Amino acid sequence: MFTTDAQTLGDLELFGKGAGASVYALYNLTRTRGGARVLEDMFRNPLSNPDNVNIRSGIIQYFAEHQINFSFEQELFDSAEQYLAERDERTRFVAQQGLGQKISSLVSTDPIFKNIQKGITAIVGLLQGLQNFLNNDEVTGCLAYAGERQSILNQLSHDSFIPMLKQSLKNKLSHEQLSAYDKVLRFSHHHEVTKLLQHIYYLDVYITVGKVGAKNGFAYPRALDSSACHISINDFYHPLLKNAVPNSLEITPAGNVIFLTGANMAGKSTLMKSFGINVYLAHMGFPLAAKDISFSIMDGIYTTINLPDNLGMGISHFYAEVLRLKKIAKELSHSKKLLVIFDELFRGTNVKDAYEGTIAVTMAFALKHNSVFIISTHITEAGEVLKKDCKNVDFKYLPTRMNKTTPVYTYKLETGITDDRHGMIIITNEKILDILKEGRAKLS
Amino acid sequence: MSFIIDKQTLDDLNLTGKFKQGSVFSLFNKVHTRGGERLLETMFQQPLTDHAMINQRSNLFAYFQILQMDFPLDGTKFQEAENYLSTDSIANPIIAAAGNFVKKIQAQVLKDERFDILKSGFVDTFLILKSCKNFFSKLDTGGNPFSKQIERANSILNSKKLDWLNHIDSDRLSVFTISSYDHLLRSAMKIEMQSLLEIIYELDVYITVANVSLENNYGYANALPVEKHIFNAEGLRHPLIKNAVGNGISLNQNSNMIFLTGANMAGKSTLMKTIGISFYLAHLGFPVAAKRMEFSVKEGIYSSINTPDNLSMGYSHFYAEVMRVKKVAEGVAAGQNMMVIFDELFKGTNVKDAYDATLAVTESFAMYNNCFFIISTHIIEVGEALKDKCNNLQFKYLPTIVEGKIPRYTYKLNEGITNDRQGMMIIENEGILELLSHTA
Repeated sequence: MFTTDAQTLGDLELFGKGAGASVYALYNLTRTRGGARVLEDMFRNPLSNPDNVNIRSGIIQYFAEHQINFSFEQELFDSAEQYLAERDERTRFVAQQGLGQKISSLVSTDPIFKNIQKGITAIVGLLQGLQNFLNNDEVTGCLAYAGERQSILNQLSHDSFIPMLKQSLKNKLSHEQLSAYDKVLRFSHHHEVTKLLQHIYYLDVYITVGKVGAKNGFAYPRALDSSACHISINDFYHPLLKNAVPNSLEITPAGNVIFLTGANMAGKSTLMKSFGINVYLAHMGFPLAAKDISFSIMDGIYTTINLPDNLGMGISHFYAEVLRLKKIAKELSHSKKLLVIFDELFRGTNVKDAYEGTIAVTMAFALKHNSVFIISTHITEAGEVLKKDCKNVDFKYLPTRMNKTTPVYTYKLETGITDDRHGMIIITNEKILDILKEGRAKLS
Repeated sequence: MSFIIDKQTLDDLNLTGKFKQGSVFSLFNKVHTRGGERLLETMFQQPLTDHAMINQRSNLFAYFQILQMDFPLDGTKFQEAENYLSTDSIANPIIAAAGNFVKKIQAQVLKDERFDILKSGFVDTFLILKSCKNFFSKLDTGGNPFSKQIERANSILNSKKLDWLNHIDSDRLSVFTISSYDHLLRSAMKIEMQSLLEIIYELDVYITVANVSLENNYGYANALPVEKHIFNAEGLRHPLIKNAVGNGISLNQNSNMIFLTGANMAGKSTLMKTIGISFYLAHLGFPVAAKRMEFSVKEGIYSSINTPDNLSMGYSHFYAEVMRVKKVAEGVAAGQNMMVIFDELFKGTNVKDAYDATLAVTESFAMYNNCFFIISTHIIEVGEALKDKCNNLQFKYLPTIVEGKIPRYTYKLNEGITNDRQGMMIIENEGILELLSHTA
């Protein structure tokens, strides 16, 4: 089980708020509603086995590279879903109609009958479409999909489905055919039919996600079968930002704690979010915003980037951070391999406490060689102490270059600690003190 | 001129929001009618900027608080009556009556429900009007703040046109009776009925707010003219926190800024929110959680308590704060008389910058003695520097008392600057380092 929590999902803007931009929305272009459900389920449940990651990413990549299209008619799905949902025995289609029914069907067509007829025809069409899709040469050539393909073919080869697959749909189905198929589809083999539809929805997701990947030039993740923590990611960037600057990170047990410094606005939070999002997507086997990535599977991700206080529960910002740390520490003490991201650790407290707290907590984290930590801070002095005492801390910073009085940001990671600070310059550039001074002069 | 407040301040103080848990609005939103809720919402969104109007409204609430009455009408029946009166009827009484006969016949033959709906709406309205008549006739009109509305209601309800209210029997109504009175209520007396509804909405809001106030032991603030530049409060508490500790606040033109320090969890943010909320409620004429409070009217409130970053606009947390301060600076420099609340200004930056920035910004704002400022910080050194530079500052702190290893907070304002810090102690108490060093 891959674990994460609402704070992390919010920090990484995976689902976003309301109709705003989100990582999910970037991929959510499925043709069918069932596909959208499958996609959301994949987002909620990243994979925890390297083979599954590689299979899924292999399928998506193959479908994208061979430009395989989703060849099913969209309208059929609604009729099929609606039909399958109605399972009342009384609506069961009977071939031998009573005289009364015959007369009433002469006067006006019974809408229930019509829906059943439509639903059966739709499913027969979809199953035939599925069989054709699977027997397409391009699809047969996809090694990653071979397992799922064989399992679907086995399900389709069941005696009950064979007549449907051979059925010609040029003419309307007879009452006898409808009655026989209705029995199979809604009653005796309902479960199997829903499973087969589900496979089509998966195809929708594979194909859609592959197209999104191709359009954005995304890379496919490769999961490593290794127990030691390892993330090697080149040229990653934030998938929702235009013209984002790419960065690379190589994380191994010899440097599994990243101590990140940089001035305000140098891009620390964005870098941490980009890394978190891409590692998350990698665990889903999805194409992601990087040139390449190989990684060992983690047991979960916890980020703390925009932590709100909770006055209603009597929690200050500092205490909210402490409780968050405690939660993560508990998970880590159960030997979980986690990716932990902390932006501006202890920013809600006084300097002395923040200094001591940052050192103590980072050192304690550094003892966990199997997890990955990224900690950003403004307290550069803490870095100097950690340099001496911890071997597996990797120091990175985001630089600021001064162009006369205007700070310019490269957004490119460098090795080391920076004490760049341009807070006062930003305040001066925004002319806040001048505004107040001039206003005062004018008023008096 | 309308009161200046923006979305961030409304969010910081959690003021509005019908569906937001623990918002100040939801504290008062216990009204009985939909129109009452609309009126309450309108009042809540439009603080008053004239001290006489504020006092007039708070007198109304105070008057109803003394009366201690319950809302006199049946809520469901009233809603039916509201629906009934708000739908239009045909203006010509003869055509309308003919139409009703047709509906009555359709009701019997075709099971059409329109006549039954009309009838039940009419009956509920009739019963509500009867209760209103009874209620308003008993109210005292001798020069109380609500007498104008009571007199208007009585004049409508006792008019000759409504004499039938006393005579008809709601169980025996002919189509003809319903049609003629239906026409009277929804067409001929439409304007009167509308003003009666509005009086009831007002009554609903006054009774409800007064009862919330009574239940929570709130009081009313006395509004003073703008030029007084005063804010005095005794026993000021957060209205939404049970058993909150009360504090005294006193600001005037010569001492218009509070520089607030205190450890984490000592209650700085809560105190600042308390001041902001009370100040807002006072401008609505609403009850405040204080023993006593008087204030001169201001033009608005700016706060910066939980400034979020905004990555999609390319703002880091620090830059978001800078832009917030800039906005306030522009308002203040344009001559606005404001209450300004800054919690932990520049916490999203390194210490040196935060020190320089807090000092420079605080000093520049302090020159505006027509505004009130409450500024909190962890950088206590700024306080020492300000002591030498400005003479219109009050230094206050919220203390922490350590008993053994457990910090305890009094939430009671003291004079001075504190350097209490218990951050490491809290980390140790939560056992985080032990959890991490323990290898399973």
